[in-house]
Amino acid sequence: MNTVGRRTTTWLQYILLLAGLAVFVGPLLWLFSTMLKTQGQTMEFPPEWIPRPFTFEAFTRLFSSMPLAPRWLMNSLMIALSVSLGTVLSSSLVAFGFARTAARSRHFWFIILMATMMIPYQITLIPLYLLYKNIGWYDTWLPLIVPSFLGGAFFVFLFRQFFMTIPKELDEATNIDGGNMWTVYSRVILPLSVPVLLTGAIFSFVFSWADFFSPFIFLQTPEKYTFIVGLQLLIGTQSQDIPALAAGSFISLLPIAAIYFFAQRFFTEGVVLTGTKG
Amino acid sequence: MIYSFTDYNAIKTPNWIGLDNYAKLAHDFIYLKSLRNTMFFVLIGVPCNLMFQLIIASLLNFEVKGIAFFRTFYYLPYLVPMIATVLIFRLFFSTDFGVINVVLDTLGIGKIGWLEQPSLIKPVIVMMNMWAAGSGILIFVAALKGVPRHLYEAAKIDGAGPIRSFAVITLPLITPAILFSLVMQMIANFQMFTEAFLLNKGGPDYASMTYMLNTYNTGFRDFKFGYAMAQSWILTLIILAITLVVLSTSKRWVYYEGGDGR
Repeated sequence: MNTVGRRTTTWLQYILLLAGLAVFVGPLLWLFSTMLKTQGQTMEFPPEWIPRPFTFEAFTRLFSSMPLAPRWLMNSLMIALSVSLGTVLSSSLVAFGFARTAARSRHFWFIILMATMMIPYQITLIPLYLLYKNIGWYDTWLPLIVPSFLGGAFFVFLFRQFFMTIPKELDEATNIDGGNMWTVYSRVILPLSVPVLLTGAIFSFVFSWADFFSPFIFLQTPEKYTFIVGLQLLIGTQSQDIPALAAGSFISLLPIAAIYFFAQRFFTEGVVLTGTKG
Repeated sequence: MIYSFTDYNAIKTPNWIGLDNYAKLAHDFIYLKSLRNTMFFVLIGVPCNLMFQLIIASLLNFEVKGIAFFRTFYYLPYLVPMIATVLIFRLFFSTDFGVINVVLDTLGIGKIGWLEQPSLIKPVIVMMNMWAAGSGILIFVAALKGVPRHLYEAAKIDGAGPIRSFAVITLPLITPAILFSLVMQMIANFQMFTEAFLLNKGGPDYASMTYMLNTYNTGFRDFKFGYAMAQSWILTLIILAITLVVLSTSKRWVYYEGGDGR
């Protein structure tokens, strides 16, 4: 191809990419724009991208119509951090077992574990709900947090894939120096796996923060809600205060977007390493 | 499993009613409608989604400067919590204040009830899934990167155009990624709940009532746990059956580098 032809191709490619960018980012920008408008401005024609004048009143109205909002944010944060911690601690230990122990049956159990990922959640939902009711965990955070401390199949898989790439010679060297399996895990594997552990921590935090279904099913008292579930109440009232709803949505995605832009590498690596959608 | 043969409702002790729950399903209008809706998402929504993701992934496979920048932003909607996604779509599609209708109204075309018309709400939900498809796109991008470049060069020398080389080189080589995405997204669509619940609670006229949303209503709103369990079991069996069918036919169309036909 000659240079002119190649340059035209490059331009075409950029035009297509920019069109795609408009599709994916445009709606988000529109959300930001809407939350800075007054209620009257949302109905204006032509619709304005940059509201004039712009105002933060939507946030004030949001917090006055949802007095529990700060508490919900705190709840969401506590739950997501606990889930994140539980996932890294327990799933890494289980993954270590699968990657490093000599147990004969480990392949069998690994396949069983992977198979549990395929079980549709609806089949366990009602039995779990009844179980939590019986042991008094309904309407507490325990159903949301405790499972993460028991290891999640997805994260075990993620960590195991990474642990397998760490040379076994390091284990042997540790054993010669008198270290046991625990030393190998805590002094060799974990320090070498910081990137993948961070990926796990970030993913579990984001999944937990954005989860609607579980907190919606297992929580009843408004004081215990997560922010996402609380926000749903506002939508449910068919409120016509569009800027306030936009402001609430913005708050719900803010922590995730912040983490994403600071730690983008870990996201993409996690998806490619496991090839999985949450 | 046992509960699905009872009339358990969390208050009385369950009575054994055998297959009554399953028999009742065959005449349950809303149930059948929810099953049809869910099949729409699986049979029409998923293929549309896969095609869309493949097209976007091809864009992101361009070798131009700054491609990482585009990839960052194309992926972002995947991370947006569903509740915010639903709200964003309302900003565009709502009958009274949606941007699209504000524009249409001013142009004299009049307002369209995107979310109020039974025929339009399902396509809107499919579009929501397309917009938030970042991880599916990323899987295809990784697969496209794995196609050896020398194959394209060889095809070019043999006189194949871009479309032909896509059809005979790219597509066969990324079939493993297509299979993976197909299975994962089919399962996800069978289980769709949050999108439909938050957008319009299954309405209008049950047009967006998904299987899981109906099961949720049966179990957690009407407290018919036995009946809901029967529904869950049928869904699980459907998912299992369809996954097995897809996996067993996959031998015929999925190409594995190892070449032993497995």
